[in-house]
Amino acid sequence: MLRKQSIWVILTTTFWGTIILFGCSSPQSNLLRLSSWVSSPSETELFKATLDDFRRQKPDLAFKYEPIPGNYSEKLQLMLGTRTAPDIFFLKGMTAPSYMSFGILNPLDDLISQSPNFDLDDFYPFALEAFQYEGKQYGLPKDFNPYVLFYNKKLFRDQGIDSFPSNWQELEMMSRQLTLDQDQDGKTDQYGFIVEPSIEMVMPFVYQNGGNFQNPDGSLGITDEPFIEALKFYHGLYKNGIATMAQDQGVAWNGDAFGRGICAMAISSGWLIPFLKDNYPDLEYGILPLPMGKQKATVAFTTAYSMPKATKYENEAWEIVNYLVGKDGMESWTKTGIAMPTRKSVAKANGFHDHPTFKVFMESAEFARPFQVQYSERGFEEVVVALQAIFYTEKEPRKAMEDIEAQIKKYRLVGSK
Amino acid sequence: MKLSSKQKQQARTAYLFIAFPLVIFGVFTFFPILFAFFISFFDWNLLIHDKPFVGLANYFELFQDRVFLISIKNTIVYTIGVVPIQTLLALVLAFIMNQKLKGRAFFRLAFYLPAVTSSVVTSIIFVWIYSKPGLLNYLLSLIGIEGTDWLTNPGTALFAIMALNIWTTSGYFMISFLAGLQSIPQSLYEAAKIDGANAWQQFWKITVPMVRPVTYFVIVLGLIGCFQVFDQIYVMSAGGPVNSTTTMSYFTYNNSFKFFRLGYGAASAIILAFIIFGATWLQKKYLPSEAY
Repeated sequence: MLRKQSIWVILTTTFWGTIILFGCSSPQSNLLRLSSWVSSPSETELFKATLDDFRRQKPDLAFKYEPIPGNYSEKLQLMLGTRTAPDIFFLKGMTAPSYMSFGILNPLDDLISQSPNFDLDDFYPFALEAFQYEGKQYGLPKDFNPYVLFYNKKLFRDQGIDSFPSNWQELEMMSRQLTLDQDQDGKTDQYGFIVEPSIEMVMPFVYQNGGNFQNPDGSLGITDEPFIEALKFYHGLYKNGIATMAQDQGVAWNGDAFGRGICAMAISSGWLIPFLKDNYPDLEYGILPLPMGKQKATVAFTTAYSMPKATKYENEAWEIVNYLVGKDGMESWTKTGIAMPTRKSVAKANGFHDHPTFKVFMESAEFARPFQVQYSERGFEEVVVALQAIFYTEKEPRKAMEDIEAQIKKYRLVGSK
Repeated sequence: MKLSSKQKQQARTAYLFIAFPLVIFGVFTFFPILFAFFISFFDWNLLIHDKPFVGLANYFELFQDRVFLISIKNTIVYTIGVVPIQTLLALVLAFIMNQKLKGRAFFRLAFYLPAVTSSVVTSIIFVWIYSKPGLLNYLLSLIGIEGTDWLTNPGTALFAIMALNIWTTSGYFMISFLAGLQSIPQSLYEAAKIDGANAWQQFWKITVPMVRPVTYFVIVLGLIGCFQVFDQIYVMSAGGPVNSTTTMSYFTYNNSFKFFRLGYGAASAIILAFIIFGATWLQKKYLPSEAY
């Protein structure tokens, strides 16, 4: 009897013991790690190719590329909080102010000044500024993508339009001309333009109208006249029935609506080009700089390489970053046009200024601005909710913005001036 | 009670068997609950080393946070809408499935299938069904009604997600009821028939009272599940439009993992836990499982 029982004890102990042992053997490697998000397989392939170029130059510097397939910002936050963050990671320009204000990123200024050939002046200033905080550089922009206007050549031809919208009035006029009810059933089946209740889409119009989300003196600009006027113009296109929304058409996003010919014009950026090529290869389209308001302006999205303060491999990581944002690395990464180089010299070397498509992006870079504010992500969320109220429930734009103004002010980032 | 040495030895062996699951439970369930309670009194940003103690400030702020109050309202509307309907539907389905019908196995499978399908998958399917050119609006157009875009209309989004949840969970609870039904002695129905009771009377006077313990179980699980609804919201509406589908657990997630405020999110999770605790306690008090 007793013997039988002790056999059981031995068996269970061995069983759980094995599980505990296996559970504890950690796969954590002692290598420098680099992480990015995953937006498309082709982009990941291209990025790996660029990393391989670096490996050929510096075969001794071992590092591991660990892409994060989903929920990037949540995962990054947890890794940074538990000191397991990768030594180099992608940082989105829009969320950079939060991360920079928390003091968890490694300032790069000393590393830059130690590299005589780095040539910081070669970068577009708007891209560098997106990663500066209290006079320090916390990230180096790998590429950028500005909003531009895509138009459907065939739909323009069908209506006999041979010019392009260069200002707000023309955008509105042509949208009206391109809005059609072809089968006369009282329902519009082709729209001139497509809108989206997102702050990034509204901001180019606000900038063009001389407005700001956050004024240079730090105050909130969302109830100022230029902001409201631009918002009303943008919403008016939808209200007057000459622009549609992706939700109304049951398509996933603006680019899909444009590809299907539901709208004749759409504001989008570099990421739409491979999408159209894969899904709508026969579509005849052209690209223009955004029509201007009181001034030319567009929003550019930029991503940087950053390092955590806690990195053990500061110098090795810098070598990699230095290559990736250096002339060779950036040329290798951007030569296909997947994104625009943040170095002027690389844009020239790639011949983008003479390229029929990319020259529009390069032109836009001259008046592009990053969209960044010193408010926490909760502030963005409040704005998104207000825009949804305007577009989905016909709330008056000025009232919607006034209602959230006091709320957003509470979400000023701590430590920001 | 004094244990004999043999009993002691048996107890030791028993603990040995459950030791590992107990450790897992402690580390991954019990400790996090206590820790969430602990950090709800701090301004806890994972990324900032300095995590100051703020006392009850998070709780005070929550009750002045418009979005949090909306999330409480949404969660309660959701629960009050879903729990009674899904419980009744599950019982009716189980009653029908307990009859000698042709193709019974097929229908049992068909009703249970949503419960074993990933909630993300069913959510995505319903995103398409509810979209403007989707299946629901097509069916409505056949009877001359022009539908809306169900998930971007603040007036319909929450109800659309409630309908999805009723559909997925009533099949799951149907199985619980079915088990309960099959344990009801057939003699009760026979006696009722002799006394001249029709099917309707049999359902209300025999079936419903006899499955009362199962009903209790189904309502408790239903309440807890509804108060914690998250995945459908995350996939289908992300709390929008205009916060009309922001539930308490979605609010907690957003504040903890998107807005860098783990302490604040923990405080809202604690309040949610108290609401669930309170609702279950009320149910135990007023609708006990054994009433007869």
